[in-house]
Amino acid sequence: MKKYFITLLFLVAGICLSGQSSDPLVTRCVLSAGDNARYLKDFRIQLGKAVNTTDLRYKANMSLWKNTKYRFTMCNADDSKGNLILCIKDDANKIVLSSFDQKTGKTYPYIDFVCNKSGIYQLNFDFENGQQGSGAGVVSMIR
Amino acid sequence: MKGRLFFILIVLVLACLSCRNSSRKAGEFVFPEADSVPVGEAEKLSAEAIADISKNITSPVEIANLLQVMEVPFSPEYIASSIDANRQNTNFDKALALGILGADLGYLNMYEKTGSSINILSAIRKLAEGIRVGQFFDFETIKRLSLNKSNLDSLLFLSIDSYTQIDKYLRDNDRGHLSALMIIGVWIEGQYLATQVMKQYPDPMLRDRIGEQKIILNDLILLATPYCNRDSEFISLCRNLQEMKTRYRDIRITYTLGEPVSVEKDGGLVITQTETSKVEMTDEQLAAIIEVSKDIRNKLIVNN
Repeated sequence: MKKYFITLLFLVAGICLSGQSSDPLVTRCVLSAGDNARYLKDFRIQLGKAVNTTDLRYKANMSLWKNTKYRFTMCNADDSKGNLILCIKDDANKIVLSSFDQKTGKTYPYIDFVCNKSGIYQLNFDFENGQQGSGAGVVSMIR
Repeated sequence: MKGRLFFILIVLVLACLSCRNSSRKAGEFVFPEADSVPVGEAEKLSAEAIADISKNITSPVEIANLLQVMEVPFSPEYIASSIDANRQNTNFDKALALGILGADLGYLNMYEKTGSSINILSAIRKLAEGIRVGQFFDFETIKRLSLNKSNLDSLLFLSIDSYTQIDKYLRDNDRGHLSALMIIGVWIEGQYLATQVMKQYPDPMLRDRIGEQKIILNDLILLATPYCNRDSEFISLCRNLQEMKTRYRDIRITYTLGEPVSVEKDGGLVITQTETSKVEMTDEQLAAIIEVSKDIRNKLIVNN
């Protein structure tokens, strides 16, 4: 019995230590971005079900630079109810890209963006139809 | 005995759970009208706004990527090798040096000069431990990845992620001044790298990138402003940033309108932006920026 508890103690301690390191979903997402992609940033998104679906709920700003090709990769945790979507707006609040095509209802798992205007952009994330979900958005540069 | 072990187990589980962080137009760009944000106002900046600003700062990895696109060869002369981690006495010096060396690490990693990065990694470790954030830097894994050169992306991810975690931890623990210093250090070294390369290898893309730093310079100053009267070191740093801003004041960034073009490819979407930004900067203005960037950076590492 004593051995069992000691083993369990070490097991829990191990889980705690691994919890301090990087998020496995983010790590998986970084690695899925492709060989020619160089990691820049990640965003961890965890949202409950939305009351209304008019606006994407998770917002973050990021500077994007001219003459750079960025890749935005969206990954979902297994228990997510909907796919993670991304919409980027410029400083004039104009939509520059969206991973969700409203006409077809299709969601793209990644978007390559050839940036020709340097500036601070707003990244807006949510899950399809304001569903509850957990996901990661990874920004990389394409060489 | 069984009861005691069970009690320890429960305490450990609770401690573990409590330790875990639940998260983690056509026109022209001009500086905001006021030359600087009043200290009182800047102190009111929300945690989210500060987090956003810290994310906006150009990654040295992006600068290094541009240099590679330009086929600029690697040069160890751009590295702040004179920084001696053992001689950084104050937390101000340690945090700033941590930022400067972080930018150098990004430059070395992008050029896969990973063998050379071991010395810098050791210095980073010492500096991070000096301001009690060493726990966020997985030195052994980063060192192993550096030595075997097998997975550059994992190396970049771990290095950048460590800095992101340090930044967040410092801000969450009322040590935002150290986080601001680290970010300013990263930017100053990236700016030094870009401007020094520009002197040797003039290129229109790099020239634009240097001019475009006007876009985030104000945010950087905003980040430092709450601490500008903290002590003589901060007073001097804030003065340097204002001097940099003066050099950027007359540089114009203009925009032309256009609609993005999208194409479906390999299951993803490729979007090409047709809107463009243009930097108008004279040779004299560029020379002044190169000069002030070098002066500021060298002043910061001179006490080593």
